[in-house]
Amino acid sequence: MKRYLTALLFALCAMPAKAGIPAKQDSCLDCHNDQSMSFDLAGGEKLSLFVDEGNFAKSVHGEMLRCTDCHADKKDDHADGAVTLGSSSEPVRTKRELTIHYYEQCKGCHFINYTKTLDGVHFAVASKGNDKAAVCVDCHGAHDISRPGQPRNRISQMCSRCHAEEAKVYAASVHGKALESSSDVPVCTDCHRAHDTADPRDGALAIRTPEICGRCHGDEKLMKKYGLSTHVVDTYLSDFHGMSATLQRGTKKGSGERLAAVCTDCHGVHDIRKSDDPGSSVMSANLQKTCQKCHPGATESFPKAWMSHYEPTLEKAPMVWAVQLFYRVLIPFMIGGLVLQIALHLWRVVVNR
Amino acid sequence: MSTNAYIVRFNLQQRVEHLVTMTIFTLLCLTGLPQKFFQAGWAHGLVDLFGGISNARLIHRICGIGLALSTVVHFGNAIASIMAKKATMSMVPVRRDFEDAILQLRYYLGMTQQHPHYDRYDYKQKFEYWGLIFGNIIMVVSGFILYFPVHAAKIIPGQVIPAAKVMHSNEGLMAFFVITIWHIFNAHLNPDVFPFDATIFTGKISRERMLHEHPLELSRIEGTPPEVEGHAAAAHAHDGRRNVG
Repeated sequence: MKRYLTALLFALCAMPAKAGIPAKQDSCLDCHNDQSMSFDLAGGEKLSLFVDEGNFAKSVHGEMLRCTDCHADKKDDHADGAVTLGSSSEPVRTKRELTIHYYEQCKGCHFINYTKTLDGVHFAVASKGNDKAAVCVDCHGAHDISRPGQPRNRISQMCSRCHAEEAKVYAASVHGKALESSSDVPVCTDCHRAHDTADPRDGALAIRTPEICGRCHGDEKLMKKYGLSTHVVDTYLSDFHGMSATLQRGTKKGSGERLAAVCTDCHGVHDIRKSDDPGSSVMSANLQKTCQKCHPGATESFPKAWMSHYEPTLEKAPMVWAVQLFYRVLIPFMIGGLVLQIALHLWRVVVNR
Repeated sequence: MSTNAYIVRFNLQQRVEHLVTMTIFTLLCLTGLPQKFFQAGWAHGLVDLFGGISNARLIHRICGIGLALSTVVHFGNAIASIMAKKATMSMVPVRRDFEDAILQLRYYLGMTQQHPHYDRYDYKQKFEYWGLIFGNIIMVVSGFILYFPVHAAKIIPGQVIPAAKVMHSNEGLMAFFVITIWHIFNAHLNPDVFPFDATIFTGKISRERMLHEHPLELSRIEGTPPEVEGHAAAAHAHDGRRNVG
């Protein structure tokens, strides 16, 4: 970063007369301002060589970077050269090859986020040879990089370019619909994370959902705004599923193994709906079917075993409430009585000595 | 009579039953309590020790079945023995036990110098025995409801299942407390037996302790009138501490 700031400073001081962005310091744009300029890649694709100076100037790097900061291998006289991968003389065959090649360029400044991507599912998939896996510029853009998450719904739009199926389902969900009018709702990266995007298939992400959903659904101020209860997380945790999921944290799902039901198992993942929506999987009419996903043979009375995120009160669950009250009285009475008798016994022994 | 004289208080079957119950109870606590206190750090450590929650739960359920079976076997035996007149209903609480309890408390409080004279089982032992029996029934029934919730919901209202969970978890905690506080005191820390009452493991109890703790049973065994032994026991009670060997 310091290097570029110094460069910027130098550029500003050395050439005050020549107005414009640092990129103008190089002579690149003298040629690359031609919209029709292109290069025929070895694979047959046409690579446009045009750079929109206005767009780049507006980008987050516009005021900061020169062309060669990223295109470090380019010299003044490459006009008739081939497009190669770095130091090797192997020619670039496709546009995708070139994009992936530039993956490494961002880490010079954005080292932390670059390192995070190495733990992400996109990197894992890419290293298995899938060249469609997202690299920095696929989400952030290249010459037109703007601040991420402005506006927030742009994040989900970015993901939807590859994950169209999920994005469509999400857009119809309670979160997706509200995204149009509210910036509070979660977008893709709020649950899946941005750079170290978790692989949702091994169960590790699923087991964290109570915590992920709880970030918003346990937030008193936020939930009040939408008239939602913040007890959903602690009532879940005090249930059998919540207890199991907490103790399963950190375990990875083996083949054929089933982890405890978390938020998404009942409410859905991308397709979460309001609980009073007739299509909701947790709507009382649909609950038996939802339970049956894990509890085959669950009868009509089975969903009543679940207290619907309510505290066991006299009105909501009188039987549970009564048992709880019984033990709240009995345990202190019993233990207190026994301890008192032990104390009296010992006191008598001391007196008798 | 020799000071080394002893009486066989528990037969082999009773000793084995205690050993089995003790082992099962310990395993049930070790695999059950972390499920109650699942948010505590030690709970995770303990669960990991058993190879994860699935394994811990498997062990818990196997032990639960073991506890259910041992209770059934115990009752089957007890009923058979009583029917065959090999055993008496010495564990059944009677009016005298309540009187004993009151007298014992009066003695502790210094309101009387008269220590109650006990038969084969004193009121504390009967209390613990029946506490264990009723506790076992509650734990086994609620445990099976939680083990097979789908089947349970077919025959009972759904709300019984979370109620069974609250019951299982609280009853279990209470049993844990009764054992760690009450039973450990009576079997280990009680000055009469400190540091370790081995009778339930060896089956043997010294005549001295019998005279002190179960004079009525001793007099029946020895065929001597209880009144005489009763006085002897009362005399012992005052300097009982020195009799501990």
